[in-house]
Amino acid sequence: MIEVSNVVKVYRRGKNEVPALQGVSLTVPRGQFLSVMGSSGSGKSTLLNLLGALDVPTSGTLKIDGKEISRFPDDELSRFRRDRLGFIFQFFNLLPTLTAVENVVLPELLAGKHRDELEPKAKLLLEQFGLKGRHSHRPDELSGGEMQRVAIARALLSEPALLLADEPTGNLDSRTGSEVLKLIREATRARNLTVVMVTHDPKAAEVGDRLVLLADGRIVGDDPVRVAA
Amino acid sequence: MWSLIRLISLRHVLGSPLRALLTLVGVAVGVATLVGIAAINRSVMEAFRSTIDTVAGKADLTVAAETSGFPEELLETVRAVPGVLHASGGISVVAPVKDAPGESMYVLGVDLLDDGFFRTYEGVDTDVGKLADDLEFLNSTDRVLVTDTYATAHGLETGDAIHLVTPDGEKPFIIHGLLKETGPLKAFGGSVAVMFFGSLQEAFSKGRTLTRIDVAIDAKVGLEGMKERLQKAVGSNIEVESPDRRGQAVQTMVRSFQLGLNLGSGVALLVGVFLVYNTVSISVVQRRREIGTLRALGATRRRIRALFAFEAGVFGLVGSVLGLPMGLLVAKLAMSTVSDSISEIYVKVNARSVELGATELAVGLTMGILGSVLAALRPSWVASAVQPVEALRKDAAIGAGAVAVKSWPTYLGILLLLVAYPVTQIPPPLENFPIGGYASIFFILMGVTLLSPLVLRWLNYPFRGPGQFLFGISGRLAADNFARAPVRTSVPVGAMSIGVTMAVTLAAFIGSFQKSADEWISQAIPADLFVTSSAKLAGVQNQPMQAAIGDEIRAIPNVEVVDPVRLLQHDALGLRIFVISLNQEIYSSRGKPLILEGTLPTPEQREANFVVLSENLARRRNLGVGSTFPMKTPTGEHTYTVGAIIIDYTSDQGSVILDRTIFMKQFLTDQVDTFHVYLRDRATLEQTRAAITAKLGQRFDLYVLSNVELRDEARKLLSSAFSITYAMEAVAVALALLGIINTLLAAVLDRTREIGLLRAVGADRKQIIKLFAGEAFFIGLTGSLIGVMTGGVVGYIVTKIVGVQATGWNFPFSYPWATAVQMVVVATLAAIIAGLYPARRAARLDVVEALAYE
Repeated sequence: MIEVSNVVKVYRRGKNEVPALQGVSLTVPRGQFLSVMGSSGSGKSTLLNLLGALDVPTSGTLKIDGKEISRFPDDELSRFRRDRLGFIFQFFNLLPTLTAVENVVLPELLAGKHRDELEPKAKLLLEQFGLKGRHSHRPDELSGGEMQRVAIARALLSEPALLLADEPTGNLDSRTGSEVLKLIREATRARNLTVVMVTHDPKAAEVGDRLVLLADGRIVGDDPVRVAA
Repeated sequence: MWSLIRLISLRHVLGSPLRALLTLVGVAVGVATLVGIAAINRSVMEAFRSTIDTVAGKADLTVAAETSGFPEELLETVRAVPGVLHASGGISVVAPVKDAPGESMYVLGVDLLDDGFFRTYEGVDTDVGKLADDLEFLNSTDRVLVTDTYATAHGLETGDAIHLVTPDGEKPFIIHGLLKETGPLKAFGGSVAVMFFGSLQEAFSKGRTLTRIDVAIDAKVGLEGMKERLQKAVGSNIEVESPDRRGQAVQTMVRSFQLGLNLGSGVALLVGVFLVYNTVSISVVQRRREIGTLRALGATRRRIRALFAFEAGVFGLVGSVLGLPMGLLVAKLAMSTVSDSISEIYVKVNARSVELGATELAVGLTMGILGSVLAALRPSWVASAVQPVEALRKDAAIGAGAVAVKSWPTYLGILLLLVAYPVTQIPPPLENFPIGGYASIFFILMGVTLLSPLVLRWLNYPFRGPGQFLFGISGRLAADNFARAPVRTSVPVGAMSIGVTMAVTLAAFIGSFQKSADEWISQAIPADLFVTSSAKLAGVQNQPMQAAIGDEIRAIPNVEVVDPVRLLQHDALGLRIFVISLNQEIYSSRGKPLILEGTLPTPEQREANFVVLSENLARRRNLGVGSTFPMKTPTGEHTYTVGAIIIDYTSDQGSVILDRTIFMKQFLTDQVDTFHVYLRDRATLEQTRAAITAKLGQRFDLYVLSNVELRDEARKLLSSAFSITYAMEAVAVALALLGIINTLLAAVLDRTREIGLLRAVGADRKQIIKLFAGEAFFIGLTGSLIGVMTGGVVGYIVTKIVGVQATGWNFPFSYPWATAVQMVVVATLAAIIAGLYPARRAARLDVVEALAYE
């Protein structure tokens, strides 16, 4: 599913070059839930951005679904993100002017699909995620947990191959956080979805099948997660 | 405070240099327009005044009948008045230069010996002292003195001829000698020729009349006392005034024209200042957290307010300083257009040079700075209300501004709209000064602007559909974004609506006027050909012709009837009106005078001084059929009775229409400004025209216009009169476009994370471009729609209230649909184009950085 080989990413900060990833290789099979942990500056967000086709590596190759995405032009990257990826962010990143259901269908609308065919599906998803009757609420009328569930629905609506989550519980209290994690886990398993989740919360990381540890732009640990006792 | 400014304001301003620049350009262009127009208005009036002043010289009092003249015997009468130390008579004409359309010379006829008392003539190659005995100069009717600068500029020297058009046709005038450009020769921009007054009378068929007697008085009697004595001596039909009082008729006459220009430039500045409001509001929104931090660190509310007011003041100062030289440029570019218009419509002025005076500099700086600081009042007040706790907010810029319905801008906006109509009813405090109407226009513009944020909120739903239709999902989101930060978007919307309002207003007024004027020309004066000398339109610029020319025209085959029409500018009823004399038999049988009230006077009534009044004069002076009014003529003051009131668009000051026989008797002149020629057979119009031109054209510098051409000329005159105003509305719209760029740049900054999100979930660059171009589209569309609606209202006020107050003309209002549609399309497209730059910036944002942006 994901084949990362020898990826290097260097940022330029003024005159300085800041290495963010220094030769990372990683293979993630379909359906695996991969947690990536590391302290800030370890390169975990950079890895996620590269996987999310938001950024391109300085060197190395990055294949998703057998496609070498690191050399895609911008428009193709956009299309790729739209069709194949789902994102969940720490700050939910819902559009404040749109209702819950509108936020959910947004990526598909961007893909040019028609709203009428999307909405029933989106409403169904929201219902499944415990947001029955809340689909015409705007983000400022929802709690943090609810907003993140809307974001998860948004990420899943297009039936992507890969779900990327960036600290999805970072902005939630621990109870809501674990509910959200449980939801992600169940929803992705049911769909046999590959998940890459970046976090610095060890408890959150345990939800995954496998835990990769990053430090200073290198992989320093790669273990299967033991099923919690 | 200073270090605070340097640390906080300056850094922020420098941090977004493009926005700072746009703001400065806004203020600068606004100030430039204001200053440029003010300078032009002053220069035109000064050019006119200086002609009066420099000609008046050291006279204490002037006995004058500028337009109609008086018999020269009056000079002896004046000299005999006790207390008169010295009196000198003169006559002046403005003569068109042959084959140089629009160019004229001010010909001054004086007795050099007498005149030396009041005015200094300095010869260059001539001994002025000896001219009084120079028989060649005194006895020939074609000898003139001109200034050396005029001669040099026109490549002339002593002995050469200047060709001027006189009532007898073109005549060469020989330069007898050169004078220095001092004293009276500085008048009329230096295009002055001096003649012996007797020669001038002869050359220009003036009979033995003078237009002016300058008087030096015995100081012991006092000005008022002497004025009384002189007035008694010369009779009531001739004005006795001190020189500084003269020229007021002209000042009054052009006042509404100049006021219109001032209004236009004021609107440009208003829109420019909007940009300051916009910029300061945006910076308050963007710096909420920073302000919160400052407050947490102990900055007082007053200090915050002062900080932003100061920032705006600096924008105002720098913008104004940049605007002043631009203002000079504006003045230089627009000067000739304005002075040409005034010359064509009101009075021949020769104003070509224009400078920025202390007044304009002061006005420009004051208005620029004051306007900017005033514009910043509300945003700085908002800033000072920021709580210290906001320092802790994460989403710093989210508060792009919700609009409270129940807030003082709403109340103020409603109040302004409510008082707008009553304000129009305030009677003008001065002739031609419809201040109430102009105030009401300002109130409407401000009221609409204050209320527009509310409108924007509600537009989000209706705009979603069209947005989706035009730009897909981006368009739908654009509709939301447009409505979401009304404080930010309402400013460019307001600016755009003001520009469009004014353009539509102007089009409404001009269009309504044109419609009526067209109808008037084709119905009331349906002559086939109009023959004038030296100018296409009779009135101000043309040279009157001898009546005998009419016979020559009549002799041409196919000419059936010729109506000799005189259009004499004359001071009556406190206005410089036109006295129109025509053959009433022809007028009533051939034309269809648009009579509003009464009937055309019968021959018996005409003998009894029954006249016809133009609608506007009747309205201005509150005269009806049967009313009587006095008018001074060269044969004394007569009382006239209004027989009929008709529609007549000869002059915005008004017209009195007299039968020609009565006119000749009372005004002692048979000269003709325009021959209205009726043909037997219209099919041979071109041949007849050619025949007239062949016979008389060269000699008289003739223009022979058909009825359609006359209408076109009238139309051209009208549109050139308003061309500068139009240009200023275009400036206002252009500034509104800067406002759109300004707003969208800020929007890109504020929504960076959102853009990142959209990109992350699959929006491509085109969709982001559409998102912002779409928002620009909505700004342009809303602004122009509000503008065409408001323009209808303001246009109605201008046509039916301000116009009536200023001109007395009350013509039907017609809404300029074509202009309105055009404005909506052009403004909206221009808005999209303006939005492209910010849109591309948004599209080029790095997705990762955008997502991490706070």
